Amino acid sequence: MQGIATTFGRTLNVVLLAATLAALSGCIVPHFYVDDAVKEVPAANLRKTEPPHPVQVMFEFQTKGAPNAKATEVLKARVLAQIKDSSVFADVSEAPVADGALLSIQINNVSLTDDVARKGFGTGLTFGLVGTSVDDGYICTLTYHADAQAPALVSQARHVLHTTIGNTSAPLNGTPVASAREAAELLTRQVLSQALNDLTHKTDFR
Amino acid sequence: MRDRVLLAGLAGLTLLGLGGCATHSMPEPTASFANVEKLRTAQIRPAMVGTFMLAAGKPKDMDTTLGGLRSTSLAPAHGSFALQLRDTLVAELKNASLYDGTSPALIEGQLTDSFVDAAIGTSSGRLAARFTIKRDGHLVFDKELVVDEQWDGSFMGPVAIPDAIRHYEGLYHLLIGKLIDEPDFRAALVR
Repeated sequence: MQGIATTFGRTLNVVLLAATLAALSGCIVPHFYVDDAVKEVPAANLRKTEPPHPVQVMFEFQTKGAPNAKATEVLKARVLAQIKDSSVFADVSEAPVADGALLSIQINNVSLTDDVARKGFGTGLTFGLVGTSVDDGYICTLTYHADAQAPALVSQARHVLHTTIGNTSAPLNGTPVASAREAAELLTRQVLSQALNDLTHKTDFR
Repeated sequence: MRDRVLLAGLAGLTLLGLGGCATHSMPEPTASFANVEKLRTAQIRPAMVGTFMLAAGKPKDMDTTLGGLRSTSLAPAHGSFALQLRDTLVAELKNASLYDGTSPALIEGQLTDSFVDAAIGTSSGRLAARFTIKRDGHLVFDKELVVDEQWDGSFMGPVAIPDAIRHYEGLYHLLIGKLIDEPDFRAALVR
């Protein structure tokens, strides 16, 4: 079974590499910081469908554009619940709905730091004396069809996760979280709310 | 000096451990938005999906195990890669409201290739199948389709192996996407 860090992203592999290499010394703990620039948009700010109608939702987490089934499985229930709780739609379903409304949610994890694996490897070999700081980018893309014939409306939002390992300072622009899973859940919630806010305020959104 | 030797030894042992000797299972087949979107605009009739099996003459283990992942292997969700392809197609059709278990249009398939190589430098994967469609018992489509992919392969197993697995799993959607794009496929299922 893949660890939670490898489940969520390529850059987070650095955590596994560094931590495993240094595990025998017990001196390295990865620290996760969700970037402060992106905040959650309250559901009350979102525009509702008018008249209210149900929607079919498809969610996929990707790593560098390739489907990541394990991360999709971990996050899917929360993503569906967030859409449902937003009350933008009358109902949310994974199966097709009567009028053909369809919302696709894709979150793509891309590496923002060059040579990530090598840096993690170096941190592990030095038992944390040489610290590593890496950034993961998350691009959330929503594609929405109001009904079976409607053209696609597309919205996008971006987020960043900072990870430090070993002897390096915390980023100035990040909120610390306890684990990779907590980080993934928080940033998913924030970036999804931003993309949904953008989508629902488009002129053609209905 | 002794510390350096110890450090090198520990690093070596850990790297061996990271390589693992595990068998991963593919996830339950799901639909991809790209293919559902294509199907919704394809103007085709609902179809049913019949038998998918390994093509005659192919090695039996091609349908059950996938090597090429260094010391790791990948198994299909339900014992057969041909079945994995079938179930992925069913999921795509159902999500586009185009699956009908009583339709006179029947899609069947034979797995003709399944391959991945998590090589250092350039990794690669391939998936191929021969698809047929019968309408009211008459063969109206018969074509073998192949999808190939290449990507950067890390020298580190913990990076390269999950990468290769994700790319291989993605080939199932790419192959079905290629099927949907086939003009003859659309013609065979025209409303």
